[in-house]
Amino acid sequence: MKRLLRVALCLLLACYAGQSVWAGTETLVVGVSSDIHTLDPGVSSDNYDWRQIYPCYDRLVRYKVMDGKGSTEVEPSAAESWEVSPDGLIWTFRIREGITFADGTKLDAEAVRFSLQRTLDIGKGPADNIGAIDVMRVIDPMTLEITLKNPYGPFLQTLATNGASIINPKIMQHAKDNDLAQAWLAGNMDGSGPFRMVEWLRGQRFVLEANKDYWGGAPALDRVIIRFMPESADRRMALERGDIDIAENVLIDQIPALEQNPEISVERHASQLVEYVYINTQKDKLKDKQVRQALSYAVDYQGIIDFVLQGNGVQMRGPVPLGMWGHKPDVFQYTRDVDKAKALLKDAGAEGLELTLIYSERRPSWEQIATIMQANFAQIGVKLNLQLLANPTLRDQVDKGDFELCLGAWSPDFADPYMFMNFWFDSGLWGLPGNRSFYQNEQVDALIREAAAKADVAERTRLYHQAQDVIMEDAPYIFLYQVQTIVPLHKNVHGYVFNPMLESMYNFESITKN
Amino acid sequence: MLTLRILSRNPSAAAGGGILAVMVCMALLAGVLAPYEPVEINLSERLQGPGADHWFGTDEMGRDIFSRIMYGARISLRIGFFVVAIAGGLGALIGATAGYLGGWVDNLMMRVMDVIISFPSLVLAMALAAAMGPSLNNAILAVAFVMIPKFARMVRGEALAVREMPFVLASRVAGAGHAWIILRHILPNCLNSVIVLATLTLGDAILIAASLSFIGLGAQPPMPEWGAMISVGRKFLMDQWWYATFPGLFILFTVVGFNILGDALRDVLDPRIRR
Repeated sequence: MKRLLRVALCLLLACYAGQSVWAGTETLVVGVSSDIHTLDPGVSSDNYDWRQIYPCYDRLVRYKVMDGKGSTEVEPSAAESWEVSPDGLIWTFRIREGITFADGTKLDAEAVRFSLQRTLDIGKGPADNIGAIDVMRVIDPMTLEITLKNPYGPFLQTLATNGASIINPKIMQHAKDNDLAQAWLAGNMDGSGPFRMVEWLRGQRFVLEANKDYWGGAPALDRVIIRFMPESADRRMALERGDIDIAENVLIDQIPALEQNPEISVERHASQLVEYVYINTQKDKLKDKQVRQALSYAVDYQGIIDFVLQGNGVQMRGPVPLGMWGHKPDVFQYTRDVDKAKALLKDAGAEGLELTLIYSERRPSWEQIATIMQANFAQIGVKLNLQLLANPTLRDQVDKGDFELCLGAWSPDFADPYMFMNFWFDSGLWGLPGNRSFYQNEQVDALIREAAAKADVAERTRLYHQAQDVIMEDAPYIFLYQVQTIVPLHKNVHGYVFNPMLESMYNFESITKN
Repeated sequence: MLTLRILSRNPSAAAGGGILAVMVCMALLAGVLAPYEPVEINLSERLQGPGADHWFGTDEMGRDIFSRIMYGARISLRIGFFVVAIAGGLGALIGATAGYLGGWVDNLMMRVMDVIISFPSLVLAMALAAAMGPSLNNAILAVAFVMIPKFARMVRGEALAVREMPFVLASRVAGAGHAWIILRHILPNCLNSVIVLATLTLGDAILIAASLSFIGLGAQPPMPEWGAMISVGRKFLMDQWWYATFPGLFILFTVVGFNILGDALRDVLDPRIRR
């Protein structure tokens, strides 16, 4: 009885503490599905990490907001202005005066050079975002000259991505064994952005605090709390109760009920987020493209879209999503064909195949997709085991290539098919950086690398289209669907701007509550 | 026969037996009676409420929940049966040996049992199932393992009494070996208590196995295991109440059924109460 009392008292205190600290109009609470992985802008290639990282740093440029909508055009941010040489190779940036990091260090040309160089030196996924950079030169304390390897259309946009975040050069004091302070930066942040990190309680929450001295003006919100809540039903309930203000990734089945709630608005945005299955092309039978084709023929794409997504999506046609140039409307598309799949498996001598699909709680629909795929595969004689993993564990396994099949989601960071064609298929980017099927095809490598090195859009389109035909034949991924992004939020949250380039990321600095 | 007649006059035993008879019929006749295939996906029928077509509604894959529960009864009863057979068999053997031989053998065996029993049974079963890898068979082994000490302790207590009986002493004088005496004299005399405990344990075993499946360590999809069904169904609980509710009710009925039958059996069979 005594223990019971103590427990009750603790709970009561917890509730009280929770209320006094977090409730109120200046705190925004976002309920999200899974814990995050790392806070290092030079390492992370996950939008869920960027949700926390992005508001804590400045970048040279930022995506413009036009008519309350995010666009793919950029405007000055930490860079005040810039000039470009007529051949498009040499960019000269003038850094804005008066930006400082938390410890008073000035954000100058050297800090920008240091940050970009660090990301390039680490050489993970973000390095490819800014991979057009050849050399950088600090001309004077506030002027930076960047020379590109070749003229590159979306170069400015790449400077608005998370990997181009400007880090305080003083972090090098935490560096150990030439790791460029990666160990420290994985769990800490040192930026000049509108928010600062307060705490990261793994599996529980991540707390950001407004930087009242931000050069662009203090944010209206005092605090932002990201709560990790693995269950979609919990997030929905918390949103309806008012415990959280924005609920990410609510199961589509629960959206109609939320739309009935007069206090909640459900925003639907056209996005370029796609969901697909990584097939590890280096594993046993999966090395055989006939087996991969058979798996692609087995999936009931239309059933998934009609019923699990309730029509909020379209089947992918090739790797480049609808709405981005480079999309090839007549590229081959796999549709469900059980007989063909069986014949392919027979030809490949892979009957009685047993595979394991890993997935996480990251996207609420994945459990259903996995179950449907299990039934679909059973019909072609493939036994599929399902394994649910915590998202950070799953990402580690993907990086190491320690899986057979894995469910994944991808969204572009800048409006260029490079985001899909080069990241997904370049054999130099195996693992988390992008090529998550560990795919290698010399012809494709040559085509996409040539496309990346050219400036002419028509020529690049031609090369990418050519590569797509080879890719569809090789079937290194099962291309599922492109979805709408649905964001349910409380009606007292104002100023939220969705940008398909910043999927799952929020403009916390300009959101207000009343 | 006498036992059965006494039992049938006991109302709670009749109720428990009745529930279990229904469960066993469901399990045996699932192939004949279930209106739908338990694992066949039918997306256009997903999340339908209970009605004439689907008595208990359908789940998020359009599978008929009533059919899945019927097939689930097979899984649950199989779990219960195997757990009790393994735990009861091994437990009784260990208990009888320890009780009969006494001395350091008794001490060693019972201390090992104490170690096992000192863990909360669900937690230990979880750890074992996680270590062996998630599958239904591993879950059965894990649950059986944590149930062994219950049987061992009880049988040991009985064995201590039985070994002093004149017929045991007589056998020993006549030159019977220890193994023979344990198998022919000690164990048969403990049988009644083992049956009572086994009936009571069946309910626990089904419950723990369902809990393991609930957290993903037991039956794997698409198996229609009740605990696994609740695990997915709870995500839909706010809008589709029937999904998690019906499997939950069936777990409840089964466990209650085994418990009241076990209680009644104890009233009838336990020598200490009967006298």
